[in-house]
Amino acid sequence: MYAYILRRLFMLIPVLFGVSIVIFFALRVIPGDVAATILGTDATPEALAQIREDFGLNLPIYEQYLNWIGGVLTGDFGESMRTGKEVLPDILSRFAITFELTLIAAFISWIIAIPLGIIAGMKRNSKTDFSVRILSLLGVSVPNFALATVLILVLALFFSYSPPVGYVGFFEDPITNLQILFLPAIVLGTSMAGAVMRMTRSSILEILRQDFIRTIRAKGAKERVVIFNHALRNAMIPILTIIGMQIGVLLGGTVIIEQIFSLPGLGQLVLTGINQRDFTVVQGSVLFIAFVFVIINLIVDLLYSYLDPRITYK
Amino acid sequence: MRKKSFLLTFTFMILITLLIACSGSNESSGETDNNSGETNNNSGETNKEESPNDTKQVEQVLNIANDQEPAGLDPHKTPAHSSVRIYSQVYNGLVQFDGSMQIQGDLAKDWEQPDDTTYIFNLREGVTFHNGNDMTAEDVKYSFERIMNEETASHIASYFANVESIEVLGDYQIQFNLKSTDATFLSNLTNASAAVVDQTVVEENGDLQQVAIGTGPFKFVEWVPDNKVVLVRNEDYYNEDLPKLDKVIYYTMKDEAARLSAIRTGEVDLTSLTAKSASLLKNQENITIKDYQSLEYSYIGFNVEHEILSNVKVRQALSLATNRESIADLVWNGDAVVSGPVAPSMGDWAIDVKAHELYSNDIEKAKQLLEEAGYPEGFDITITTASTYADMVDTAQILQQQWKEIGVNVEVKQIEWGAYIDTWLNTSADILVGRNGSGTDPDRALNYFFHTNGSANVWNFSDSNFDQLVETGKVTVDEAKRKDIYTQAQESLLELSPNLFLVSPMKYVAVRDSVEGFTPYPHDGEYILEITKK
Repeated sequence: MYAYILRRLFMLIPVLFGVSIVIFFALRVIPGDVAATILGTDATPEALAQIREDFGLNLPIYEQYLNWIGGVLTGDFGESMRTGKEVLPDILSRFAITFELTLIAAFISWIIAIPLGIIAGMKRNSKTDFSVRILSLLGVSVPNFALATVLILVLALFFSYSPPVGYVGFFEDPITNLQILFLPAIVLGTSMAGAVMRMTRSSILEILRQDFIRTIRAKGAKERVVIFNHALRNAMIPILTIIGMQIGVLLGGTVIIEQIFSLPGLGQLVLTGINQRDFTVVQGSVLFIAFVFVIINLIVDLLYSYLDPRITYK
Repeated sequence: MRKKSFLLTFTFMILITLLIACSGSNESSGETDNNSGETNNNSGETNKEESPNDTKQVEQVLNIANDQEPAGLDPHKTPAHSSVRIYSQVYNGLVQFDGSMQIQGDLAKDWEQPDDTTYIFNLREGVTFHNGNDMTAEDVKYSFERIMNEETASHIASYFANVESIEVLGDYQIQFNLKSTDATFLSNLTNASAAVVDQTVVEENGDLQQVAIGTGPFKFVEWVPDNKVVLVRNEDYYNEDLPKLDKVIYYTMKDEAARLSAIRTGEVDLTSLTAKSASLLKNQENITIKDYQSLEYSYIGFNVEHEILSNVKVRQALSLATNRESIADLVWNGDAVVSGPVAPSMGDWAIDVKAHELYSNDIEKAKQLLEEAGYPEGFDITITTASTYADMVDTAQILQQQWKEIGVNVEVKQIEWGAYIDTWLNTSADILVGRNGSGTDPDRALNYFFHTNGSANVWNFSDSNFDQLVETGKVTVDEAKRKDIYTQAQESLLELSPNLFLVSPMKYVAVRDSVEGFTPYPHDGEYILEITKK
């Protein structure tokens, strides 16, 4: 088990190395650089050359890469080309916000999706089942940004409510913090819930058809026991896979939602970085996101073996 | 048994995630604590200073929605509007524009001109930086030398390329020696980026992107990335009556719908808006929309070395085929005026373009010109535009329709902002839709953008007669003569059409009714010093 974890962690190295190369060169292939975006119409050849020199953008590309990756290996992600801020602390503080949002959204989605999915699976083709299926289809197909914008406008127009402006951390002011995160979490949660609901339903349906369930029922077990003690546990694996993917994606920053709700999360950092061609910020963030994604996958894999002891890792 | 162990592990995992979450945000809140620790020092000071003011019942706080995140705070290095609107409250320059765009003193109380190339400024005495240091002539000298130093890579270095040397004559007297007569010098000094900074602060911090210590009406407190920038009243501001507010907070809110709802519910007091949103708020209670004519204009830029576009008749034909009024109507809801290379809000400097022949939208004449140029059937061409700005995309699409009438088939290519800037800089598009600020002096609008060696002349445009006009304009101090020269220059530009100048839009600011004393000006849409809150 531990050997497995170590091996997986060891595999992070080639993955991150690959990601670092791809993102580094991709950024330099797209047109435009930070000097041009800073200066805009005020650009003069001298000023452009000076800024490029300041950030080492005039060096041969492999040398730029070695400089950067050398820093990263010693924990120095460099400084933002736009603001001069150190990149890593910025990534971490923004990740905390994205993480909190993801967690709340995930909880909301589970609270809605898993019970509804189970009921729909149990009562196949009933009215409840159809309503759940329609609901989950809506959740999956209504785009986040549309739901978010409608929510904001409806609340402002009809209830004169808008969430407090200016993000505050949970430990500064928990109430305001939750007020700020509530709407975006609802939006993300409902769209996550759609997929989870569908998966729960079909997974439960499939398990309930299996022989061991019939055996348990034949032994006279109550339906509650059948579902919660036996069916759900076996149904969890595909659900967990979906949840793992969703969380992995969300932790990479929810660009649109963060932008609409003015949340200073990881997604905004990357987006602003790309728009301003702030190479160090984008490179650092993408590397970090790749790292988080791999770790989440590892955690999901480990959870599999808890849920189903037949799965073992050596 | 197995069930229990599962439940246990599950709760355990959740606990761990929670723990990680908490420790993660602990770190960050620790950091912000540090930040606010630093800023507490600041605000501690201000609190002390503010304490006699306790008689004031409510703290006067203005909440502004900023549609972009500031791109740094260094006035000498950052031209982005989201930054300028903040640092212009923290710093002063030597001179400034008043409401009617007349130059008046700022840090300089007055100035004299012994000859055409020498300016002597007498500085206000007793002005201090926010860190308590005295502002003297040495600081002014340092600031302008920093701007002119190539290593700074300042975006306004070209404004002061004509400065030969700066001499400190006394603690509060400074002399600028110019290489040649320069009619634009004073108006260049009004630029918010020509700010006077404190040398010790630059040396301590390397640059001024993260710190802002000036002499201005507001002191910088903190900048929380992608969240907010907080400024507080400078109790020691040289004009004792100003500013009237105690605190200004700029919240970064990139989404227009979010800004709209925040101004509706009063979460923010002031926000800029697009024409379309402004009309949505027009009948809203408690909100006033203030509009002003901007100094910007939209344009079509031609690569004049392009095979087809190098022919001036083709460019003139396209100008004739362009219906500028309908662009104003469709793109800007009718709230835009037809513009030449100098925006109409520049007053007397701008020529009346409406009557110009090439603005007459005469399709027959356009077809005839195309035929003379050798393209009786028209041609195919691509217009490149920035997807980031809806108005630019709309403009391109309307032109696609309009030019079809003379047989010109346009393909509209939308690119993202970073790529757009690159395309602009390298003239890698045949035709580009854009928006320019015409500056506060016609020299900027004409010389800088269209002189053969102009820094922003990316169009490969070159005309010796025009070059000579704008060179003379720059060194002509007599205002009437200067106006005459720039009139000729503008007419020659319209005739040669290296760009098609389209319309100059209105700008909108939505303000809550609790905000009093706010008037936006063309050169400064955000003059907030007189604002009070009910």
